[in-house]
Amino acid sequence: MKILAVDDSPTMRRIIINTLKRAGYEDVVEASDGKDALAKVEIEKPNFIITDWNMPEMDGLTLVTTLRSKDEYKNLPILMVTTRSVKDDIMEAMKAGVNNYIVKPFTPETLKAKINQVLAG
Amino acid sequence: MSPTDNLQAKIQQEITELTTSVSGLVESFRKLQNPLAESHRKVPQATNQLDKISEQTEAATSQMLDMIEQITQREDEIIKDLGVVKQKAESGETTEIGALADVLTVKATTNLNDAYAIMEALQFQDITAQQMDHAASLLEDIEGKLRHVLTNVSGDEAPEKLEEPAIQKKKRAYDPHADLFNKTTNQEDIDSLFQNPKQQPVE
Repeated sequence: MKILAVDDSPTMRRIIINTLKRAGYEDVVEASDGKDALAKVEIEKPNFIITDWNMPEMDGLTLVTTLRSKDEYKNLPILMVTTRSVKDDIMEAMKAGVNNYIVKPFTPETLKAKINQVLAG
Repeated sequence: MSPTDNLQAKIQQEITELTTSVSGLVESFRKLQNPLAESHRKVPQATNQLDKISEQTEAATSQMLDMIEQITQREDEIIKDLGVVKQKAESGETTEIGALADVLTVKATTNLNDAYAIMEALQFQDITAQQMDHAASLLEDIEGKLRHVLTNVSGDEAPEKLEEPAIQKKKRAYDPHADLFNKTTNQEDIDSLFQNPKQQPVE
């Protein structure tokens, strides 16, 4: 399974990639914002997306909305990993079409559990 | 026109000019009031954010140092134990080597887990970076308001140094509520919300 990790913080991308590799997900590609992610989705064809919310150029919510507006990405699993923990934000992300939501800082166990939960449908 | 009339006219003119000048001054002060009030409000916000960064950086660093101290202590023990293993292997006392290898495996595994825990703790960098972006954004706003005030005070004679600074402002994308320890909604409530979308999470 190929996972696309989207975050504007290089430190967070490294942490996510290392956590995923430890959980057994070796095939991980990365993008630094929503715009970069849209380009990577076309090229890399990931099976799963993990995205941050607050990013310059294009934020995670716009990325999710853009992907969900296209037929081929309507069912692409998307997990949002963000610092935003306000209830209204979570509802907005849900409405935009994320499959699950994690608030930073996260534990490797939570990340693994949420990926499995999303994949199980 | 008599000299008295002349004097009266002059005084009247002076008073009119003075009134106009005072009105202009009052108007200028009114224009300054809003930006100054906003700056006054934003300075404590920026200060609070900077204090939070300092506290959370300290807490995360302390957490990582605790783990590093434990790792180095275990590494010392591993080195010592490996010396014992070597000694026993060389002298042919192989009976205890298996048990020592088990101890070493436990210690090495614990160190590996702690190394990942340090990586997990390093997430503070993303959170404090967002807090710093928020503080920087507040300071940029204050700078803008003060520029407006100074331009109004200086009128047409605004000094050159009031021109826009040459440094290009960074594009900032941050969560103003980003916090290392306090989450408005906890993970359990988020989980139940996703399990049952019609249910509202507990406040």
